This record gives sequence, C-alpha cells and structure tokens, in this order.
Amino acid sequence: MFDQKTIRRRRAVLGVFVGLSVALLTAYFGESGGGVLHALQRGTQEALAPIETGASRALKPVRDLFGWFGDSIDAKKDNDKLRREVESLRSELAQAQTAKHDNRQLRGLVGLRREASFPRGTDPVGARVIARSPTVWYTSVKIDKGRADGIRIHQPVIAAGGLAGKVTRVTGGTAEVTLITDSQSAVSAQVMPNGANGIVKPEVGNPNDLLLDFVEKGMRVRKGTTVVTSGFSSDRVRSIFPRGIPIGRVTKVDLDEVELYQRVHLKPFADVRRLDFVQVLTRRPPTQQNASTGQVVAP
Amino acid sequence: MILGPGAFLRVGLLLLVAVILQLSVVGQIGVLGSYADLTPLAVAAVAFYGGSIAGSAAGFAAGLLLDLATGATMGASSLVLTAVGYGVGRFREVRDPSHGLMPIAVGAFATAGWVTAYAAVSFMLDVGATVSPLVIRDAAVTVMLGALLALPVFILSRKLLAPALAFDPRELRRRRGAPSEPGPLGLRGLEV
Repeated sequence: MFDQKTIRRRRAVLGVFVGLSVALLTAYFGESGGGVLHALQRGTQEALAPIETGASRALKPVRDLFGWFGDSIDAKKDNDKLRREVESLRSELAQAQTAKHDNRQLRGLVGLRREASFPRGTDPVGARVIARSPTVWYTSVKIDKGRADGIRIHQPVIAAGGLAGKVTRVTGGTAEVTLITDSQSAVSAQVMPNGANGIVKPEVGNPNDLLLDFVEKGMRVRKGTTVVTSGFSSDRVRSIFPRGIPIGRVTKVDLDEVELYQRVHLKPFADVRRLDFVQVLTRRPPTQQNASTGQVVAP
Repeated sequence: MILGPGAFLRVGLLLLVAVILQLSVVGQIGVLGSYADLTPLAVAAVAFYGGSIAGSAAGFAAGLLLDLATGATMGASSLVLTAVGYGVGRFREVRDPSHGLMPIAVGAFATAGWVTAYAAVSFMLDVGATVSPLVIRDAAVTVMLGALLALPVFILSRKLLAPALAFDPRELRRRRGAPSEPGPLGLRGLEV
C-alpha cells in the first residue's frame, strides 16, 4: 500500500517529533525559572494575552449562554440539595427548640419547688401535657399521669412559674387538669407581703390576666407585688391549694369608690398557653394535712 | 496533504484558533463539572484528512502552542498530541473509514487518548501527586463532550483544509459512486 520511502519518512517524522518532545521535557525540567524555554513561555503568554482577552470578550455571550444552561442544571441540583438540607436543619432546629423549651419549663418547675415559700412534702408527680382544650378559653389540659400514678381529683397542679390549675377528672393513665383560667376556677389567694386576702378568678379568654377579687379596701395592694395561694382553712372548709404556691404578679389595681372591694389584676406566672410539663402535688403539706380531715373542699 | 505554505498556514491557523478558543471560551464553560477540549479534536481532524505525518506534525505544534500559552510543562502536551495525531492518521490510512459519522468515534477516541495519556504523563512527571477518583468522571465527561463536538469541528476543519488536501476522502468516495452493474459473466468490472 505504501512504499518503503513513505514508511521510512512517516516513522522518521514521528521519531523526530517524539524526540523533540522528550528533548523539550528534559530541557524544561533541567533549566531554571529564568531559562530560555521559560522565557519563551512568558513571551508567548504575553503575546497571546490580547488575543485571548479579545476572544474572551467577543465570545462572552456564547460562554454566558452555555454558562446559563450549566448554571441552571447546577442550580436545580443545588436547589434539591439545599432543600433537603433545609428540611434536615429545620427538623434539627425544631428538636433543639423543643428541647430548649422543655428544658426551660422543667427548670422553672424545679426552681419553683426550691423557693422558700413553696409548700414542702407535697410529693409532686411530673406529667407531660398530652392534649389541650381546643377552645380559646384555656380551660383544661390532659396529662399523661392518672390514678395509677397517685393522681386524684382536686389535687393542685403547678407549672413552671406557679399555679396552673387542679385535677378535675382522673382515669387509670391520664387526668384532666382544669386551669386557673377556666371560667369556673376560683383560688383563695393572698397578696404578699401585706397579707391581703382575696379570690383569684380568671378574665375569661385572656390567659394573661387574672382578677383578684374581694380584696378589702383597707388593704392597699401595690402593683408588682406577688400573689400566692392562701391555703385558707376553717373548721368547715379548706382550700384545696396548699399555702404558698405563687400565682401571679399584680399588674393593675382598680380603686372604685363605689364598690366595696378592690379589683386587682394580676398576670399569672404559669403560661397556660404553652404548658408542656406540669407537676401534680399528690400530698398536702403535713401541717395542712392534719386540718383537712372532715372538711369540705373549697377553692 | 500537499505540503506547501498554504497547508502550513491553514493548519497553523486551525490550531491557533482551536487553542485560543479552548483557552478563552470552551475551557471556561463547565458542563457536568468538566470541560470540552477542542485541541485534540483539531489535531484529530488534521490527521484524519491529512494523514499520519500531517497529524503528528499538527499534534506536536498544537501541544507546543498549548504548553507555551498555558505555562504547562513544555513537551508533555506535544508528546501526547503527536501520538494522538499519528494514531488517528494511521487509522485513516489503514482503514479508510467511509461512514459519515466516523468523526464522532474518532473525536471520542482522540479525546480519550489525549486525556488518558496526558494524565499518565503528568502523573509520571509529578512524582508524589495524589489523584482523585473524580478525575475519571471528569475524563469521561470530556470524552463525551469531545464526541459531541467532533462532527462540527471535523466539518469546519475539512472546509478550511480542503484546498490543501491532496485528495479529499469524502470527495473520493462520492466520485467512486455506486457499484456498477455486473457484466454478462456476473463479475463486476467486466462489463461488455
């Protein structure tokens, strides 16, 4: 097909170019950065730079067009990836926030029980809120502890901060807690430190406002003072709430000249809208327990 | 290929344009994490239409230009592209492929040879270099892009080189035409 001359020429050309390439490689590695070949490279780069720049600018739209396609594909991929990442992070964030929230409530519960005025010997049983009243009246919640855990009707329930309500229904494993914001709720209370007595009632629909009613006019109640359960007890009736459980802080005092009693507004310490953990006080404090025999339960 | 100033000029222009386009445009368009490479395609096109001698010469020149323009190790690209040009040229000379889509296969093989051999040479020269497995994926993408670009590159190269070609393989095939009718003896070429 090819004569010997052509074959020889072809092989010779290949040999020459391969030899030149190897020689270039050897020389390039052998010389310093300021050698001839390096200088030639720098010169070529400088010479080609304007052409490359011009070509780059002239063909920028083409590059941008392809880049747009590439970016769109990459963006779609990135979008999917980031979406998955967001979902994962959102889940982690939700878990972290839940843990933080739970932690704050549990700390609040522990802190409340450490207060000097808090009644001792109440055998609190911790419970998790498993259901809430679906209405906007903040009437009741259901907890995951019941009769089997020592929960009984009329036992007081505290949450982080202060009094939350009382147990009104019990099953084997759950209990219903009627909150202090329920319209039927009434708690005998005392303003500290002056000792003015009254009854705490809800302002229905507003879980941030309770009313301390029946406070005698002669006892001046000041804004910012604390209201606690009075643990009222007499020969015939006694309060179901032991003395000393914080209820709220006085926010406003209505001094009506016509009315016999003052109307004191207070903000409850327990946030009934965000109850997740509560404690049921399953025993009355020893000093109050003795007085309970044969008595009628009162708020 | 007819050796003459015109052929040198045309091949040189083709390679220069290929290298400049590669550096300023094609090399900056990322597709699936990799880039197309025009240089081996241009060398393969010269070799395909001009033969092994023209191919090896074009490979050496393109490699030299590429190394000079990029500041890479001089001689490495020349060595590999010389081999690529020679291989494609010999394939054309020995097999004389006639299928119209042959440039796609040739372009893919030329790109694959260039990528693989250049990686091997680089690896041998840069002792101690660690190679990521992603190189294989990128190389596969480059080969795929080479196959896609091969046909337009070969068509444009053929148009540019046509005046310098001793014979155009495609034109030759066209002139051959369809096989003639057999003669009375049933043998082709013995028509009476």
